[in-house]
Amino acid sequence: MQLFFQDLVNGILTGGILALVALGFSLVYGIMNIINLAHGAFIMLGAYITFQLFSSLHLDPFLSIPIAFVALFILGWIIQRYVINYVVRAPILTTFLLTFGLALLLVNVILLIWTGDTRSVTTSYSGANFDIGGITVPVVKLMTLIVALTIAAVAQTWLVATKMGRAVRATSMDVGAAQLTGVRVGQIYAIVYALSAGLAGAAGSLISVSYAFSPASADSFLIKGFIVCVLGGLGSVQGAVVGGLVYGIVETFASQYIGTGYADAVALVVLLVILIFRPSGILGKATA
Amino acid sequence: MTTERAGGLTGSQTAIYAASSAMLALLFVPAAHSDYLNALFRGILMYAAMSYGWNVIGGYTGYVSFGNVVFFGIGCYTAAVLATHGTTDIGVSIVAGMVAAAIFAIILGIPVLRLKGHYFGIATLAIALAVQDVIANIDALGGSSGLSLKAATLFGAAVPYVATYYGMWAVCLVAMIGTYVVARSRLGYAFVAIRENEDAAAVLGINPTKYKVLAWAISAAFGGGAGAVFVFANGYIDPDTALAVNNNIFPIVMALLGGIGTVAGPLLGAFILTAINETLWNRFPFIHTLFFGAMIVLIVIFLPRGLLFLISARRSWNLYVQSLRAYRV
Repeated sequence: MQLFFQDLVNGILTGGILALVALGFSLVYGIMNIINLAHGAFIMLGAYITFQLFSSLHLDPFLSIPIAFVALFILGWIIQRYVINYVVRAPILTTFLLTFGLALLLVNVILLIWTGDTRSVTTSYSGANFDIGGITVPVVKLMTLIVALTIAAVAQTWLVATKMGRAVRATSMDVGAAQLTGVRVGQIYAIVYALSAGLAGAAGSLISVSYAFSPASADSFLIKGFIVCVLGGLGSVQGAVVGGLVYGIVETFASQYIGTGYADAVALVVLLVILIFRPSGILGKATA
Repeated sequence: MTTERAGGLTGSQTAIYAASSAMLALLFVPAAHSDYLNALFRGILMYAAMSYGWNVIGGYTGYVSFGNVVFFGIGCYTAAVLATHGTTDIGVSIVAGMVAAAIFAIILGIPVLRLKGHYFGIATLAIALAVQDVIANIDALGGSSGLSLKAATLFGAAVPYVATYYGMWAVCLVAMIGTYVVARSRLGYAFVAIRENEDAAAVLGINPTKYKVLAWAISAAFGGGAGAVFVFANGYIDPDTALAVNNNIFPIVMALLGGIGTVAGPLLGAFILTAINETLWNRFPFIHTLFFGAMIVLIVIFLPRGLLFLISARRSWNLYVQSLRAYRV
């Protein structure tokens, strides 16, 4: 039973990061209807920026979150404005291949700058953990969870309570109707894509503290983002958070009871089953 | 996507003549006695066959699959398992690879082809990744360290290594002719009807599920055949090689580059993309993937309807510019 609760806690702690990984991906998917395969590369860029700031300036990784966010926000804006904007309404094949090409490009730029070596950010408090009723909680993972949920809450508030957020939601519901009411869809798309990239950058910062990473990790986080989105439903903050936590728990238990070799396969099978029986996610409406 | 191209569902007739001549010429590549050229053109034929496979489901039927590499992998492992436990006959392996891949596509297709658009794309991508994971965990298939193969035979006699070239040529020819036959038959019209409007197709009496599954099975057979020959050429197979990301994405980019839903497109795309990729490899051995990524971006933005469309639209620059602007906001 102790082990069960330990796994549950580990799963929830992992889930926070997964929620943030999925959040940006989900926004672009839900609002622009684009599967952004470059999302994993954005995350890795965030992680490497944090790594660089830590190793050359000894900046605390949690303090570099805003820097990674802003850097990726700007990059995302540029990519949307000058690349994706040309095909934003194209069929899925076009956008899928385009973002795949972007991912290839970005991952290789990372390889060129930082090589393919596995990196990690080890702070003075990295090994610290505390104990609640026999369950071990690593400090870094708890901080990560808190930061991730805070960012998600801020994003949700922005979407619900601001004028821009309302315009974003209007665009996701009906592009034509949004345009009729004066929403500049091009601008909304640019902001959503930039925001998504920024969130990926923030997620990357958090990942750099908890995981060892290399440029190849981009794919693994991209797929996790996918799965979380499908679990939670697209384009909603709550969906990403619930999906992230559920997936974190599923992943932890799968590697505990089925074996780590099958952990990804199990996750992907879960994804397939959900796609087939509940194509709009656990929280979504039951329409395909 | 529209169908108002010259030559109906097959694409331009001239392009088909050119592609057929190219296939004939490819038969004489081994006459140069160059191992490098054999390997290079075998690669082109392999990707062309896979691209033809993708074209049937992604191009004609409009179900954009990002998991067709699975069928290539099934072909690889069918041939590998046959070679370990039964026969090394390359002809038998090709047929077995095609059949096994088609059966797998039917089993997979019945649930998965219910999904549409993005969901189908994601699901197929997930299948590709899951199959790679599962194979890596099956000891009978060599797990993640893979299986080694003996040399190929044909009708009980040992054949020289160059047989793998002719084998790949044959698979590519089958894929090309198969695509032509499909495009000229009622089958092709059913596929395109589903692509253009699935509900309307159903109203016209086309059973979408049946035809979609059939399209995927044909698609899978081409990839499976290519996989079976590849294993003999490679002499060795592991999950990372069989289900490599390149094997998944190259065929799609090739079909897009040549022209989706045409008979000549995949071969043309395979030629050009392999040539470019090879040049990038030689010039920039360390960063060729970077350029390759940039190239995909450029192809998608500037050639969204392929080279064949560009060639046929040569007298109408406006039409081309229009096609570029179509998807902007």
